[in-house]
Amino acid sequence: MGSSDGLKAEKQDGDTSLSGLQKLIKGDASWDRDQLGDVLHWIRQAIALVCGVLWGAIPLTGFLWILIFAALSSGAIYGVYSIYLKVDAEEFGGDGALLQEGLFASMTLFLLAWTLVYSLAHF
Amino acid sequence: MAAARYGDALLIVAISVVSAIICEGISWVLIYRTTNYKSLRSTIDRTSKKIETMKSQTPASAIAAAKKSKSKKMDRYELSLKESSRDLSLSKFKSGAVVALVLFVVFGLLSSLFEGKAVAKLPFSPIPLIQKMSHRGLPGDDATDCSMVFLYFLCSVSIRSNLQKFLGFSPPRGAAGQGLFAIPEQKLK
Repeated sequence: MGSSDGLKAEKQDGDTSLSGLQKLIKGDASWDRDQLGDVLHWIRQAIALVCGVLWGAIPLTGFLWILIFAALSSGAIYGVYSIYLKVDAEEFGGDGALLQEGLFASMTLFLLAWTLVYSLAHF
Repeated sequence: MAAARYGDALLIVAISVVSAIICEGISWVLIYRTTNYKSLRSTIDRTSKKIETMKSQTPASAIAAAKKSKSKKMDRYELSLKESSRDLSLSKFKSGAVVALVLFVVFGLLSSLFEGKAVAKLPFSPIPLIQKMSHRGLPGDDATDCSMVFLYFLCSVSIRSNLQKFLGFSPPRGAAGQGLFAIPEQKLK
């Protein structure tokens, strides 16, 4: 494994040295499975937190708003990877796998934030 | 300003955060810093990446012989992936028991503090199945009253899984499908 291999590896992995966030901002970088999954995970958690605080503060109440959040956050994730990043989902396990990144954690985070803000702000 | 009626909810969130940090600390001491875990983890990452590239690189037009040797190689990688994933799950078993003990003690503490008390107000009325947890041990029948059990459940799932992801302790994606009892299949020669 001479230094030339190292150089070659570096050239090939030119993009992987960028962090997930830098690639997200750059928009058209090449992704590896883990990095894309992590970025989509954190985007989902951010959406869950923002929606939870917003729904709780207004307040928006009723089971329907859980479904609206689920549709909104899944639509946003789909928009990020297929329209903005222009990633071919098939290369990363299909739409199902990408849409599941951080789904359960974001659902519980959303319910927690919604319930906390609603309870503390309105009672 | 009168104390918010549901100020206890914040105490439960704080206790959940502290217990999540303690659990990850224990897991780190018992597993994640050990060389065995690190080598298993890198084997899994490396092998699953190799399988991924091989899957995406096999052109349809490849000659039959090349395809045969490639699939043999792939089988070998998949077998090694399964074995290291199983070893990884086994190595986590040890700390799993300690972590379960910590969660059990914290749950006991919270139960004694908040038994029969609504700690939050749900902005929706849950389906009966969820109510079994969200209305557990509460007087009356207002479905939007939230019990400690449900709030603690929401806290521990969202806080702990995100903390694991943040610290890099979440299970590797390549091994996602492998459970503890994944029996390596015997390939028919």
